[in-house]
Amino acid sequence: MSNLVNLIRNEINKIYIQKSTWIMYILLAVIIAGYGMLTSFFGDVREDYSQDSWRAELQEENEELTKEMEEEELLEDFNMGLIEQNNYYLENDIQPAGYDAWQFVMEMNIMLSIVSLLTIIIAAGIVANEFRWGTIKLLLIRPISRSKILLSKYLAVLLFALITLLFVVVFSWVIGAVFFGVQGLNPQIVMDKVGGLEYVSVIHEIITNYGYKLVNLVMMATFAFMISSIFRNSALAIGTAVFLMMAGNSIVSFFSEYAWAKYILFANTDLSQYANDAPWVDGMTLPFSIMVLLVYFVVFLAASWGIFTKRDIAGQ
Amino acid sequence: MEKPAMKLIDLKKTIGKNEIIKGLNFEIKSGEVFGFIGPNGAGKTTTIRMMVGLIKMSGGDVQILGKSIKNDYKEAIKEVGAIVENPEMYPFMTGMQNLIHFARMLPNVSKERIQEVISLVGLEKAIKEKVGKYSLGMRQRLGIAQALLHNPSVLILDEPTNGLDPAGIGEIRYYIRRLAEEQNVAVIISSHLLSEIELMCDRIGIIKNGELITIQNVHDAADTEQDSHQIQMEVTPAEKAMELLSTEYEIEAVLKSDLISFQSQREEIPNIIQTFVRNDISIYQVEVSRATLEEKFFDLIGENVIE
Repeated sequence: MSNLVNLIRNEINKIYIQKSTWIMYILLAVIIAGYGMLTSFFGDVREDYSQDSWRAELQEENEELTKEMEEEELLEDFNMGLIEQNNYYLENDIQPAGYDAWQFVMEMNIMLSIVSLLTIIIAAGIVANEFRWGTIKLLLIRPISRSKILLSKYLAVLLFALITLLFVVVFSWVIGAVFFGVQGLNPQIVMDKVGGLEYVSVIHEIITNYGYKLVNLVMMATFAFMISSIFRNSALAIGTAVFLMMAGNSIVSFFSEYAWAKYILFANTDLSQYANDAPWVDGMTLPFSIMVLLVYFVVFLAASWGIFTKRDIAGQ
Repeated sequence: MEKPAMKLIDLKKTIGKNEIIKGLNFEIKSGEVFGFIGPNGAGKTTTIRMMVGLIKMSGGDVQILGKSIKNDYKEAIKEVGAIVENPEMYPFMTGMQNLIHFARMLPNVSKERIQEVISLVGLEKAIKEKVGKYSLGMRQRLGIAQALLHNPSVLILDEPTNGLDPAGIGEIRYYIRRLAEEQNVAVIISSHLLSEIELMCDRIGIIKNGELITIQNVHDAADTEQDSHQIQMEVTPAEKAMELLSTEYEIEAVLKSDLISFQSQREEIPNIIQTFVRNDISIYQVEVSRATLEEKFFDLIGENVIE
């Protein structure tokens, strides 16, 4: 066991010792900080409502929104939503929480596509690069099975994703706190859910939003890992994984009229389809999707393992 | 009886229909430096990759101190340190970081041991620098350090002199002799250039087209030799000398830019000179060169064709 821990340490070390990894993190930080700054300076967010006059403030907001709507038809849907939310607060007599670090973190779940991209890059390189550097030979002449070495690499990829995700959450929270402040430890807001408006915990929303997107992240990273270990080529792995990540939804809608469309990986990666609207393809259920995901997952890993542990490491 | 450090038993590799390695059998003792020589494409690297488990064997086995690479890989490979082809390391890490990385993959390598191998190969000064900045010679030394971390009984170096200048080769020779003599390590060195490793080996095995042609003992190869020697003489008149050689000794000599050159036994040389003197032939110089291992190597190898 300590053996495996050491191997994972090695892999994580190799990831974080490279400058390119730090450039990825700087990029993430710049995007988050930039987003925070733009929202703070140009975004229309209300940071707090006063204890005594929040009702009047909401009324005022509604009037402004209505006026805006009349001038610009395009905003109608969006503003109507906001007005309804405000009315919900008024009707239920709840003082709304202002926009703060937590809500900023919740919004930054969009960063997960970038985290996915970075994880794909790492997964694509983690096996292929050893072949490119020629160091694979030194890795595989140790009293350690090839399976264990591959496992350590796969776990290192997942660990990288986790660390990067935590970085996004923590850094977003800090940026959010700097620009918008913090409203308590577990603020609640009204959101438009499946059954209409609901008063929900922001932290709960953060966990579910991020959680749903993690499914896709893990699947695509595993896919890139498989391509990397089979073809020993990181560019190919990055290319195919990113292409599929981008094109996944189009692929599903393109084939959606066929019955087998529900077996396409990307029809199943977004599990939030069961919480929100109707599923993409008729007849799909949550257990069905989980089964399909598991099958893909096992196939990806079995292919990686089968090839990596058996192959002859011959010259380049 | 002491088990051989490494033993190859009818080792074979077939790819498709081609039998690349056709049943190799030999042993290497502890404390011995064994040169594994053959032209490019003869199967040296394939054999070495099978020895360390990078390539599967199609038949036979390799045993390290009696443990099978095929059936007991983890136990067998514990006793092996190797550089396979180029001494490739992570270029973005320092020499030290590379060593720590590989030490973590081995049981019980202490910090002191890492320092020990660094000083053994004399890399103290450069160990904190990135490997990307190392010269080939330095990388070769770091490769050896890496291979020695766990005090292996068998050290396998594939083409360790490739691309090194004569000074670099000299250094490698020095480390290898020391390892074999002081630490009783069995060292296997492959090369396609016999001259580069002849001086550091005790025995040399020659491989051609996947077969072991011969195993030679380096130190007695030249001395016990009763074979003919190559003799060159500067004489005038050369034609007369050649005629005498032909009539008196039945030796065919050739004339090459004022030098006559022919093959003969060592004992014959004084007689030939006397014959020449009696016949008023002036002798300006006599040169005797032993048939080197290199020449024998060429004789044995002939042309290497991969069938």
